[in-house]
Amino acid sequence: MNRALDFVRDRSGFEMILIGLSAVYLFLFAGAPFVFNVLMSFQKVDLFNIASIDRPFVGFANYQKILANPDFWLIVRNTVVFVALSSVCQLAGGFALALFFMQDFAGASWLRGLFLAAWITPGYAIGQVWKWMLAGDTGIANYFLRSLHIIDGPVYWLSDPSLALLTITFVNVWLGIPFYLLLISVGLSAIPRDLYEAAELDGANAVQRFCGITLPLMRDTLLALVALGAILTLQQFDLIAALTAGGPVNSSNVAQFWSWQLSFQSYQIGLGSAVSVLMLLVVVVIASIYVAATRSERAA
Amino acid sequence: MNQVELSAVEKHYGEYHALRNIDLSIPEGAFVALIGPSGCGKSTLLRSIAGLEQISSGTISIAGERVNDVPPRRRDVAMVFQSYALYPHMDVERNMTYSLRLRRRSADLIAAAVREAAATLNLSGLLGRYPRELSGGQRQRVAMGRAIVRHPKVFLFDEPLSNLDAELRVKMRGEVRALHERLGATSIYVTHDQIEAMTMADHIVVLKAGRIEQQGPPLALYDRPANRFVAGFIGSPSINFIEGAVTADGGHVTWEGLERPLSLGRRLSAAQRVQIGLRPEHLAVATDGTMAMVVDTIERTGSQTIILGRCGGQPMTVIDHGRPVLARGDNLRLAVAPDHIHLFDPDSGAAV
Repeated sequence: MNRALDFVRDRSGFEMILIGLSAVYLFLFAGAPFVFNVLMSFQKVDLFNIASIDRPFVGFANYQKILANPDFWLIVRNTVVFVALSSVCQLAGGFALALFFMQDFAGASWLRGLFLAAWITPGYAIGQVWKWMLAGDTGIANYFLRSLHIIDGPVYWLSDPSLALLTITFVNVWLGIPFYLLLISVGLSAIPRDLYEAAELDGANAVQRFCGITLPLMRDTLLALVALGAILTLQQFDLIAALTAGGPVNSSNVAQFWSWQLSFQSYQIGLGSAVSVLMLLVVVVIASIYVAATRSERAA
Repeated sequence: MNQVELSAVEKHYGEYHALRNIDLSIPEGAFVALIGPSGCGKSTLLRSIAGLEQISSGTISIAGERVNDVPPRRRDVAMVFQSYALYPHMDVERNMTYSLRLRRRSADLIAAAVREAAATLNLSGLLGRYPRELSGGQRQRVAMGRAIVRHPKVFLFDEPLSNLDAELRVKMRGEVRALHERLGATSIYVTHDQIEAMTMADHIVVLKAGRIEQQGPPLALYDRPANRFVAGFIGSPSINFIEGAVTADGGHVTWEGLERPLSLGRRLSAAQRVQIGLRPEHLAVATDGTMAMVVDTIERTGSQTIILGRCGGQPMTVIDHGRPVLARGDNLRLAVAPDHIHLFDPDSGAAV
């Protein structure tokens, strides 16, 4: 007993306990559900056999059904637009704001902190508030745009099939910018000031300093950030549920919402699982970019 | 012609007065050291010349042109930073050529400039390395290389050797000076190390609390310090200060522990109190000395023996070039060279 205690206190026992705990946690709450999910995507799952693991094996039938679904390509396209457009706009907006807040003006850090307010609010509530603001006939957004004579009649941001996806992308960008702002700010402040001074004395103007110093030194941070941000956008569910629920007629439906609809609205759990496994493959690709970026960061 | 000219330069940071009425003329080709304790304004002064700090009033001219409102990139000065500030994402060659590439110089000219600088600084084998792959001394050379490829009007050095170990610092001291002589360029060098300033510079500017205390050639500052502060700052080990007084006849000075007053060779107002500065190297252990000292500590460096003790109640340091057999508590006699006595006003600190 004493020897075991000594092993924990003085040798590598403590580290082993720490590793063991996180391994158990990962297995129980990530590994097992993951295996369970992959398993279900190859099975015929209904409400009667959901409690058992021993269910009829159907091979790739679920995947074939998903691919044959008339909405499949629309949803793939929507998901790509949603993730790509969100990432680009979040990155550009977050970077611009981070650079703005690097200018040391009164209240800069205080204002930057305020951006986090959006994160305190639950995503579903944010979606509801935006839904009211964007409402076609009674929303404040149309009221403003009309008062400024930018639009003549009401714009149906959420119920016009050609606008719905862009609108939820816009709200998602709004929601994601503080995340980018904060992490880019951290990256920017890690660049030593004297590099900029040296570049200035070397003859670089503001644009040349940005392209020659800031961008190359931020490259790995930005790459990691975009990978992380894209995964967060792929998880975005609350906003879509609150704003459009994928409608009208799937015009704003994306993979993660579709997977939920299949599993929990029409109880085609095998199909829902297959969609989520397909998404997982995409996430693995993005995650490997993230890992590569953070690895070269450590090497630098 | 003066390459750098500062007149009545003032710098305020809010309430803080960083530079006070700085007048400084630096001839072309001179090597000027700015020295002083931390916070004396020496780095601020250097950064003001570079344009990295805006001065509050006064004028700064470089090569005859007033540059107060000229941004750093148009001043044609190069700076070697204490941290070296090498671009971590560029290899040695690209670090050194960044300024030339920004100026869109031809590839031939850039290649020639790199070759020359690399040969001068022994960097030829390292051009493809990144800063993180270099030792401290190599980084320091690259930082210098980045400055010399440009052939700027003025070189600015901000404590460039302070991050090196002692041995390398002494070696680089000589190399920087040799480089200066080869290039013949005007150099301004900030340091808090008076030995660096004494050994490298033609002209030393001593700063304290944003004000120039004294400037001049190194030995002039050593031989004729304008005040107590400069006397204490220049010289190692530091000068000894003791309380004393001018005798009634005005021609001699005396202090506690001295057997008979020393002749000054000049007339001062009689019986005034003075502070006396005695450099450790100007005191000698001698059996016929006129000053009594009790030994506290002995430091032997091999080439010299530093004896710390007390004369009367006042601490005293003496350098002896022999190897005297001494122990704590011994009584010594010290000979004082009358030519090497510095007198200061006890209130203002100014030389008398």
